[in-house]
Amino acid sequence: MRPRTVKMWRDLSAARGRVAVMILAITVAMSGVGALLIARTVIVREAEAVYAGTNPASATLEVEGGVDAALLAQVRARPGVTDAVARQTVLTRVRVGDQWRRMLLFVIAPDDPMRVAKLRMESGAWPPADGELLMERTAGPVLDAAVGDRLAVAGPSGATTEVRIAGTVYDAALAPAGQESVGYGYLTPAGLARLGFTASADELRIVTAERDEATVAATATGVAAWLTNQGREVHLIQVPPYQHPHHSQSETITGMFLAFAIAALVLAGVLVAATLGAMLAAQTRQIGIMKTVGATTGQLLRVYLGAVAAIAATATVLAVVPALLAGYGLTGLVAEMLNVEITNRATPWWAPAAFFAVGLVVPLAVALVPLVRAARITVRSALDEHGAGTRVGTRRGDRWLTRLRGGRLSALALRNLLRRRGRLALTLALLAAGGAMFTSGLNSSAAWRSWVDDGMARRAYDAQLRLAAPASVDTITRAASVVDGVIAVEPFVSLPATPASADGQIEVERTYPDDGHGRFLLAALPVPTRMVDFEVTAGRWLQAADTDGVVLNQSAVSRLGDPRVGDEVHLAVDGVVGRWRLVGTVAEAGGPATAYTSPQSVTRFVDPGTANMLHIVTAGDTAAVTGAVEGALTSAGLTVGESMLTEDLRTAIDEHVAIFIGTLLALAALMAAVGILGLAATMSITVTQRTREYGIMQAIGARPTVIRRMVVLEGTVTGLLGSLVAISLGVPLSILVGELLGRISFGLPLPLRLSPGGLVGWLLLSIVAAAAASLVAAHRAARLTVRETLTYQ
Amino acid sequence: MIRVHDLAKTYPMPGGEFPALTGVDISVEAGEFVAVVGRSGSGKTTLLNLLAGIDRPTAGQIRVAGIALHEVPEARLAAWRGRAVGLVFQFFQLLPTLTVAENVMLPMDFCGTVPARRRRPLALELLSRVGIADHADKVPAGLSGGQQQRAAIARALANDPPVILADEPTGNLDSSTAEAVLGLFRDLARAGKAVVMVTHERDLSGYADRLVTLVDGRVAEDVAVSA
Ligand SMILES: Nc1ncnc2c1ncn2[C@@H]1O[C@H](COP(=O)(O)OP(=O)(O)OP(=O)(O)O)[C@@H](O)[C@H]1O
Ligand SMILES: [Mg+2]
Repeated sequence: MRPRTVKMWRDLSAARGRVAVMILAITVAMSGVGALLIARTVIVREAEAVYAGTNPASATLEVEGGVDAALLAQVRARPGVTDAVARQTVLTRVRVGDQWRRMLLFVIAPDDPMRVAKLRMESGAWPPADGELLMERTAGPVLDAAVGDRLAVAGPSGATTEVRIAGTVYDAALAPAGQESVGYGYLTPAGLARLGFTASADELRIVTAERDEATVAATATGVAAWLTNQGREVHLIQVPPYQHPHHSQSETITGMFLAFAIAALVLAGVLVAATLGAMLAAQTRQIGIMKTVGATTGQLLRVYLGAVAAIAATATVLAVVPALLAGYGLTGLVAEMLNVEITNRATPWWAPAAFFAVGLVVPLAVALVPLVRAARITVRSALDEHGAGTRVGTRRGDRWLTRLRGGRLSALALRNLLRRRGRLALTLALLAAGGAMFTSGLNSSAAWRSWVDDGMARRAYDAQLRLAAPASVDTITRAASVVDGVIAVEPFVSLPATPASADGQIEVERTYPDDGHGRFLLAALPVPTRMVDFEVTAGRWLQAADTDGVVLNQSAVSRLGDPRVGDEVHLAVDGVVGRWRLVGTVAEAGGPATAYTSPQSVTRFVDPGTANMLHIVTAGDTAAVTGAVEGALTSAGLTVGESMLTEDLRTAIDEHVAIFIGTLLALAALMAAVGILGLAATMSITVTQRTREYGIMQAIGARPTVIRRMVVLEGTVTGLLGSLVAISLGVPLSILVGELLGRISFGLPLPLRLSPGGLVGWLLLSIVAAAAASLVAAHRAARLTVRETLTYQ
Repeated sequence: MIRVHDLAKTYPMPGGEFPALTGVDISVEAGEFVAVVGRSGSGKTTLLNLLAGIDRPTAGQIRVAGIALHEVPEARLAAWRGRAVGLVFQFFQLLPTLTVAENVMLPMDFCGTVPARRRRPLALELLSRVGIADHADKVPAGLSGGQQQRAAIARALANDPPVILADEPTGNLDSSTAEAVLGLFRDLARAGKAVVMVTHERDLSGYADRLVTLVDGRVAEDVAVSA
């Protein structure tokens, strides 16, 4: 081996502890990078594959009265249409134990060719018999049922009919049932009719040759116009993006996390650079000697870059196994969350290449500056004993420093701390970056929780019930309020609505044909209402005088193309277009896009003095009281179509982001680890660099305990300063993360919440770690004999 | 081999320019052993640094081993220095983590003057020339001061440079060891190298050929040493 390489290896092995810290830091960061690289590439690809595999409809048109086989054949022949099917979706309820659960029934004709919006049979066969249905594979827990069990499914009158579960299917286009707290069932029109519903295949799903949105929209509008000409009424045109419903969310979130992991890697690179920089600073003289015997800057730089490359390569290789474990663990969790079946676990070919390239290039790039600086030093200044020393007393800070006189330990420790300003800045930067990400992880999770808590607190009602048909407000109130445990009742109107254009045309919607993603409601609450108190983000809430006023929640605002207060808003209910004036917008945690208006403005859709929904406030066991209210309403001759407890809504909301919060916290811990490692490394560097000084102090009579105490004090102050910087940097970062996380989950940025646990935790963690790291270093320093320290090179 | 004409070097100081060398003229031929003496602060190390291309002159011409140091850019000097000049210091300056033999091989490695497989045999040969072949595989800390200085001289010879520059090479050695080291330099000069040595040794007769005395940065005397 070349002598210069030998020297590098010996120097590295002499600094074994520090090399281990450098490797550990990069390994930790690269584990995160690798895990997210795997999760991101595999999930995004597989989600697209399963979604495309269902051959989803390019567009869905809601056609009044349903589409029969003859019409369907004509639609298939329309220009641009390559295939078409007619389906039906019915939202009803199912009795599970002593509770009601929401149930979505997808109605498919037995002769449906199953070429569009395909299902995959997992067990049983299509079509099921009239008294049977197939269940989506994720619906088991929600329905508390398995294949062979019987479900009590409610019909339009509320009376239940037993339906046997004949098998399960996998529907890749749906979010998992548990997440939406809804059961999914697939049955034939005859099976639906058996439940008492009218079978009417009113969802016309067409597939177009070209999948781009403009072409699809044009084709769908053409078909709609043709249908209208045929005397058919089209209520809704949906053109969802040709992507898995959760595509952009998973891409944005995994992208953000990947950025976090790469930030951790940069941090680890800074740590390596700092540590190497310090090791090289201690070798200035040796660098000078090598240059006197002919070493060029380039040669030395290559040796040092070789050292960094060796460290980075070792760390990256060590990170492979943890990255695979964490990556596939996370992939499994996200896949489950998105109801995506992973058929191909392989990462794309470039992912391993990118992994190793990032693991090598980032540390090298970060280390380049200190290495170049060290290698470029001239022989003259490397070997100089003149003038190259620090000029104390020139900077203002120094003058302040020299005033910190006296033999007092604290003054000395503080002066030491400030003497090496560059090193201090670096240590603080490492601690601060690690801590900022740690605290912002915890802050974001706290913000999430508080936003949901707040959203729930702004709903006064404990349950909401939907009636199968509107009924008199007085009847509803009288029937419900006599039930034991009911504190308040408030009937209201809620109707499915569709955004419309100013000229009354139904607009093409960019939403998915499942009932959850893309529902739009028009809700007429009493003015004033006692049941909700949403945070007003613009304008104001409804007033009694607002006959045509409307208030939109954030989802509705974005669905309607961001109208401003004062703008006119057009919504169609059952094909009838109404106009409203936007008086305000509100933030609503959970729930679909909703336009809130007053009862008098919906009289053209429902009779005055009637309502089809009610909010109730209960005391005691909400589920039991709600059950009793249902009984009372039924006794009064009303049919309950759906009831939903507010606490179930919360569960559904939490389920949507649980994994992301978990990952955020895991990454926060990763950052904390790198930050603390950085602190440990720089503390040990600081102490080693002062070895000679400690020797001199001992030579003039300082006891080892005094030195140890001084070093620990210095470390603790560094830890304290670092965590303060971290906490303040964490604030803007939390805002940023909250903005991203909130926007993709609720359409609104999360509020800034400081997690007290996170702040105090980080403060304690960094102080304790700093004290511990410096204690170890100080212990070594104090143990050296005076002679050893004075000859220390 | 060495031609210095009207050489000056000033250092910028807070109180103004400080002239470390003024109007220095010196020539050293191949095979000549020149000793530079003078009081502390008279500019000896400054002169040696200029000859080695470690420092740049403020004015004047300086030619060493065929190149004009005052004209060549700094970046090209490192490789030149490795081949043309062998440096020996008062404090030996061996790399502590390399063995003695590896220290000697280092200049061959950096300058690529000797093929890799020939380096160790050549290093051992040089070490036996300075009389410490037995210690080739020890680290410097395991050697006495005199042995370390011999190792440093072997390293200075690694690339067979025509010029040897030494700054107080005997300053840290006892008198008998110092004489042995002086003898080594004399032998090197006899073998054709130009040797310039800064020293505080009093009796150089029998070793050096010429004695240059610096006083306050000027050449006060440049005389042959009487045998
Ligand atoms: N980098 C520098 N900056 C300022 N002054 C310097 C510098 N280097 C040397 N000097 C000054 O130049 C003068 C000559 O220094 P030099 O080191 O050449 O002396 P010397 O003859 O080698 O002394 P010694 O015998 O003590 O080694 C001294 O007065 C010294 O203080
Ligand atoms: Mg000197």
